[in-house]
Amino acid sequence: MNGIQVDINHLKKGEVSLGTSIMAVTFRDGVILGADSRTTTGAYIANRVTDKLTRVHEKVWCCRSGSAADTQAVADIVQHYLELYTAQFGEPSTKTAASIFKTLCYENKDNLTAGIIVAGYDEKNKGEVYSIPLGGSVHKQKYAIAGSGSTFIYGYCDKNYKENMSKDETVSFMKNSLSQAIKWDGSSGGVIRMVVLTKDGAERLIFYPEDYENL
Amino acid sequence: MTSIGTGYDLSNSVFSPDGRNFQVEYAVKAAENGATSVGMKFKDGIVLAVEKLVTSKLLVPGKNKKIQTIDRHVGCAYSGLMPDGRHLVNRGREEASSFKKTYATPIPLPALADRLGQYVQAHTLYNSVRPFGITAIVGGVDDDGAHLYMLEPSGTYWGYKGAATGKGRQSAKAELEKVISNKPELDAREAVKEAARIIYLAHEDNKEKDFELEMSWCSISETNGLHKAVPKDLLDEAIAFAKAENGDDSDSDDSSDESENEKDNEKKDAEGDVQLE
Amino acid sequence: MAGLSFDNYQRNQFLAERSKTVPQATSTGTTIVGVKYDGGVLIAADTRSTQGPIVANKNCAKLHRISPKIWCAGAGTAADTEEVTKLIGSNLELHSMYASREPRVVSALQMLKQHLFKYQGHIGAYLIVAGADPTGTHLFSIHAHGSTDVGFYQSLGSGSLAAMAVLEANWRPDLKKEEAMQLASDAIEAGIWNDLGSGSNVDLCIMETGKDAEYLRNYRTPNVREAKQRSYKFPRGTTAVLSERVLDICQVEEETVDIELEA
Repeated sequence: MNGIQVDINHLKKGEVSLGTSIMAVTFRDGVILGADSRTTTGAYIANRVTDKLTRVHEKVWCCRSGSAADTQAVADIVQHYLELYTAQFGEPSTKTAASIFKTLCYENKDNLTAGIIVAGYDEKNKGEVYSIPLGGSVHKQKYAIAGSGSTFIYGYCDKNYKENMSKDETVSFMKNSLSQAIKWDGSSGGVIRMVVLTKDGAERLIFYPEDYENL
Repeated sequence: MTSIGTGYDLSNSVFSPDGRNFQVEYAVKAAENGATSVGMKFKDGIVLAVEKLVTSKLLVPGKNKKIQTIDRHVGCAYSGLMPDGRHLVNRGREEASSFKKTYATPIPLPALADRLGQYVQAHTLYNSVRPFGITAIVGGVDDDGAHLYMLEPSGTYWGYKGAATGKGRQSAKAELEKVISNKPELDAREAVKEAARIIYLAHEDNKEKDFELEMSWCSISETNGLHKAVPKDLLDEAIAFAKAENGDDSDSDDSSDESENEKDNEKKDAEGDVQLE
Repeated sequence: MAGLSFDNYQRNQFLAERSKTVPQATSTGTTIVGVKYDGGVLIAADTRSTQGPIVANKNCAKLHRISPKIWCAGAGTAADTEEVTKLIGSNLELHSMYASREPRVVSALQMLKQHLFKYQGHIGAYLIVAGADPTGTHLFSIHAHGSTDVGFYQSLGSGSLAAMAVLEANWRPDLKKEEAMQLASDAIEAGIWNDLGSGSNVDLCIMETGKDAEYLRNYRTPNVREAKQRSYKFPRGTTAVLSERVLDICQVEEETVDIELEA
């Protein structure tokens, strides 16, 4: 480990990991986050109904991948910072939330295994997606995919993503994408969870295997 | 000296029996004796104007800027001890940059005013420091629109529609009140002209001294939310307007003005003339 | 001497150098479960504690009290589950006195996970936290690295796979208290019978809002030792005396020596 290269291939022994399929997509009215629900310890599924979509502010959420402990700790700290920010300055932007995530992930890169997608909605900037992969860099994107399962759906997403989709189109695009990710990635599975962030607030969706397996 | 023997004015962190902090009050005097500064809010921004007294014929006209930029979207003008003001601006720049580093967004003006207020207030608490000998006008534009604050040596700050400090503040304030109540929907260019006129008016009481007008603005429509010096052509236009409005036919910019156009010094500043022994 | 003692560090280094086997901590190779049911939550544990292949304790207690109505089942390193549970229990009590409020399960959870995360997994505590507080009944699990999970039923420890099989097959949201007790005990028994690290008895603790927690130590004892068919106590005289001889083991000789002292 020399500060440039990060040891990504090994979690601490026995650590719980989110070998995951996660994504976030901007659309006409805001942004939607999506994730599978599998948590593993080695070959054992420690939790088959995990919630990897975590709230850090009313309309700023994140998708977590990597170590469960690390990403939960980071999300808890960001949630705390945003609470303080709100008390002092009012509603934070998604960019501000992403910046706090980045600072934590970048400055502790040697001790963290955390791949996070930050997505949020605010009145000024509408839906936004920021991807923060392992080294702690930030990438603003129209949509982002991450986690072990994402490798299988780069092509699918690239071909099928369209700007300014409707909510239903977006949900269906994400359901198809995550369905394929789960199908081909052994570390992903369970249900598909989604959170829709629009001017009306946050809405949760859930899709069971029978809903997404044979699309 | 009124309070000789009491000793309550010697130390910064000590109250007098009637609950005053003399050091802070002396600092206010320092600010009140300084050259006039004016700040004014308009529809989508703010304008800052200062009276720059020409202390030497050798100084290069148009250089030696007094108005400073704290962040791209925030300007600051102050009256009183210039080095104190420059120090405060430095602190403001540190606060603005640290905010932008952690939150990836420009510091909102209320937050900046608050942090500067805390910093100035801290200088009224300790024996090892003295209060700031300035009153600063901080203005700019953020996500919530235009903001204008005036910050005093005690650390107090208030949000204003129009603010004035320095020697000519009384007449400037009276004029600001008139302008703001008569023309509430001023646009940027009109505001610049009005601010220029007010500085020229406030200088009336101090006519024997030569001065230069310096102005900056920060508006959504004219400067894209950035704090910038008012461009040369508009500045010249504003000066011409100010002179015409004040019925001043002489040119105080280029030549010292001997012709005493002694009108009626109606709003003579009483406090501004206090002598420090 | 104040502060930490590192006396054993050199010894351990030495031992590790000299032999392949390092002293192992006592681990509760365990089965623990938690079950939510209609009106409450309960947790259960087996009572076997092991040191490698040896059963160190046949009836140890793995259910710990964090506060009167928040209990915790521990797997992993026995000493760590005990200590971390005591520490957070103590801090939670101070917190509840400061806030003049009943302690909450989420508070215990947050304190535990932050403590464990700080120690990066070196505190080997795997916990199922459950309890009743003013906001309702709750059930969580925590892993040693500080990650937490929520669920209607949880299992942890070496016997968790066996226990989870039972829970997955039989859990329902409308379970009544007695049914939940039965289910949790069955899950622990699955561990007791099928996992080498688990054994002996079932401990249970039931928590419902507005009621005191019910701690049922040895709720089930499926491993009571059979009374010995025969006794190994022999009456006096069982061994026949064939001959008897008394020996002087040592002989003592005494001798007095006179020393003449010169004047």
